[in-house]
Amino acid sequence: MVGRLLDSMTLGRKAQRLLTLITLIALAACSTREVVVEGSFPTPLVDPVPVSVGILFTKEFKEHELVDDATGRGEVSWRVSTGTAQVEFWSTLLPAFFHNVVFIESYEDLQTYDVDAVLIPKVADVQYAIPLYTNVKVYEIWMRYNLALVEPEQIIDKENSTISLENIQPFAEWPLTAYGKTPTAFMQSDSDAVNLAAVMALRDAGANFITSFLRVPGVMDWIDNPEEAQ
Amino acid sequence: MKRALLSVFLLGGLLGGCVTANVDEMTFDAPVAGMTDGSIVILGRRHAPDYDTEPDFIDCIGSHISRGSENINVIPEGQFVDAMYPWFEPRTAPLSIESVGRLMVLPSVAGKLSELDLDYMIWIDGRTQDTNSSGSMTCGVGPTGAGCFGFGTWGTESEYEATIWNFDAGAEVGKMSALTSGQSYMPAVVVPIPIIAPVQDTACDSLGTQLLQYLSAGS
Repeated sequence: MVGRLLDSMTLGRKAQRLLTLITLIALAACSTREVVVEGSFPTPLVDPVPVSVGILFTKEFKEHELVDDATGRGEVSWRVSTGTAQVEFWSTLLPAFFHNVVFIESYEDLQTYDVDAVLIPKVADVQYAIPLYTNVKVYEIWMRYNLALVEPEQIIDKENSTISLENIQPFAEWPLTAYGKTPTAFMQSDSDAVNLAAVMALRDAGANFITSFLRVPGVMDWIDNPEEAQ
Repeated sequence: MKRALLSVFLLGGLLGGCVTANVDEMTFDAPVAGMTDGSIVILGRRHAPDYDTEPDFIDCIGSHISRGSENINVIPEGQFVDAMYPWFEPRTAPLSIESVGRLMVLPSVAGKLSELDLDYMIWIDGRTQDTNSSGSMTCGVGPTGAGCFGFGTWGTESEYEATIWNFDAGAEVGKMSALTSGQSYMPAVVVPIPIIAPVQDTACDSLGTQLLQYLSAGS
């Protein structure tokens, strides 16, 4: 396309090549960097909490992505897809953290499996910073989650035989923050660095979850008496 | 052209001879007994806001110790951190040996550490960074080819401190540090020729040797 555009101009062949190169460099500078977060996540070394928990990953959670359209600022735009990595990470962590875990995919799952509560994670916010913006030689990712524990009955819509998250009243609800960084010296490219920072942030989210879960108001009461969630 | 390239190589060789690295070593606690057989893990500190201790530096120290003593089993950092997840993440990593004692209250953690049969845990904190830089270089692309002309130089500093925890004694038993610096040069006549001062490698050799001496003392 760039070639065709230049063909229409009255330029020498060398000048055309040079202009093509400059145009391509300029386009690359204003393009969008796409990162699909990938990493390997270890199983946590924990003594399981003696409860049975259903895990509900919403569509928004599974498909979460951070989009920063920076074309107006004349900078590189970013699209960081974290959804797949979120699901992979929490699907590794939670079954090790709770005595029994069921991944709730449908209304039927809720009817079939007897769980003490359903955990619904939600990605509330993801922010990033790259050295270009901060002058600090690290790539950073911040994540904020809202986590909710609800009684299974709360999300059952018997009339329509579906799962409904409208008007739910969790007996425990709390925010969870996470942070990951990658020094510039470690990485060859921006995308690799942002990916690694996101993986570090996920690991940090898991560490924060494990170390803070039992301090969440309402959780200890529930663990002591899981049949009667508050 | 040949003459220009020859000049560049001669200049490179001359400046290569000027590359220096200063090493400052300190050991606070003298070793009392070395390891005859056992495992250690070397971990980098990653909780500072503006830097992380480089994983490849940790690997370098580990390789140095492994090469120096067949009796010492060095557990790779990544493998250890994954096996102990989430207790050695930047948020949760113990800052003192006493904190490890608190972690041992958890049966799963105590079991895993016992399984790993750790004698020493060595924490490395520090980084390598470029300091002053000067000079200028211009590169151009023309119809007949591309090339650069100019001269650049920059300084590099490495500063690392190793803290040794003895698991059997449940105590911090030593600290060592290595401070190295050097000047790198990049002359360019058509082709840039980097003459890099091996600052981090020197720090690795220095700290690795000190740690090896400590761990092997008396054995």
